[in-house]
Amino acid sequence: MEAAALAYLGGGLSIGLAALGTGIGMGFMVGKTVEGMARQPEASGLLRTTMIIGIAFIEALALYALVIGFLLIFK
Amino acid sequence: MDLLHHFELHPIVEMHLFGIDLSITKAVVMMWIACCLTFFLLVMGGRRAKIVPSGVQNFVEAVVDFLRTNMILETLGEEGLVWFPFIATLFFFILFCNLLGLIPGAFTATSNINVTATLAIVVFFCTQAAGVAKHGIFGYLKKFVPKDIPIFIIPIMLPIEIVSQLAKPFSLAVRLFANMTAGHGVILVFLFMIIMFKSWIIAVVPLIGVVVMSAFEIFVALIQAYIFATLAAMYIAEAIQEAH
Repeated sequence: MEAAALAYLGGGLSIGLAALGTGIGMGFMVGKTVEGMARQPEASGLLRTTMIIGIAFIEALALYALVIGFLLIFK
Repeated sequence: MDLLHHFELHPIVEMHLFGIDLSITKAVVMMWIACCLTFFLLVMGGRRAKIVPSGVQNFVEAVVDFLRTNMILETLGEEGLVWFPFIATLFFFILFCNLLGLIPGAFTATSNINVTATLAIVVFFCTQAAGVAKHGIFGYLKKFVPKDIPIFIIPIMLPIEIVSQLAKPFSLAVRLFANMTAGHGVILVFLFMIIMFKSWIIAVVPLIGVVVMSAFEIFVALIQAYIFATLAAMYIAEAIQEAH
């Protein structure tokens, strides 16, 4: 295969695999937060804030992969 | 059809100063508009404040109070109120930059890595300054090495701490940049589908996609501004808290 073709393949794979991992992570996180909210509805405000900040950290990993994908495809 | 054409910048006024490119581009103009909007919104909300708020003052008070309790008092505490103007300004500026980009024909200033990196570097220096102001230079440097650890671990711990300090502004910059770029990229992909299929019947599906993604982008614009400001507050809080 040509190097350019491999770069396209790598770009596609990078964002796909990153979405796989971060999807699992976010699923765990939101699930546990909902569990906590159901158990203790009065703490839902604090839980929601913490969840959103956590999601930002997890999401950043997928976005790094997106940047790498851009670099590979549009170089 | 080039997807990234939308994100390219073309100078409106060419300007070079001491070898630095200071050209005025669409992003610069959008940032000026965002600055003006931030300024006028907050001045309109704060000028001639009444006991019973109404109109603009009502809105501004609600948002500012939300930021104050959620970002400052919960993470930094009372002593962090010094940093409240900085954090709130960051929030409003990024929010307006993000929202302005949703207007057709406009440009999202935050979808340019230079803009977000500059904001992140400002946050980085503020974090270091806050730590040094609170603990003094040596006290702050001491925080890099946890107390009561064996001496041979220090050469491993110190580089990790320094790298983690440097990774913070990087992740701030990339998060905002990639979120805004990716959101607009998805909208563009949907729009390109309409052009590619050249069929009125199929065009309905991407059109629904564009509408839904645009609505989602308003949400993302809010969340990203909130997250950027919250993380800036958290980094400053981490720098000024006592070593443990």
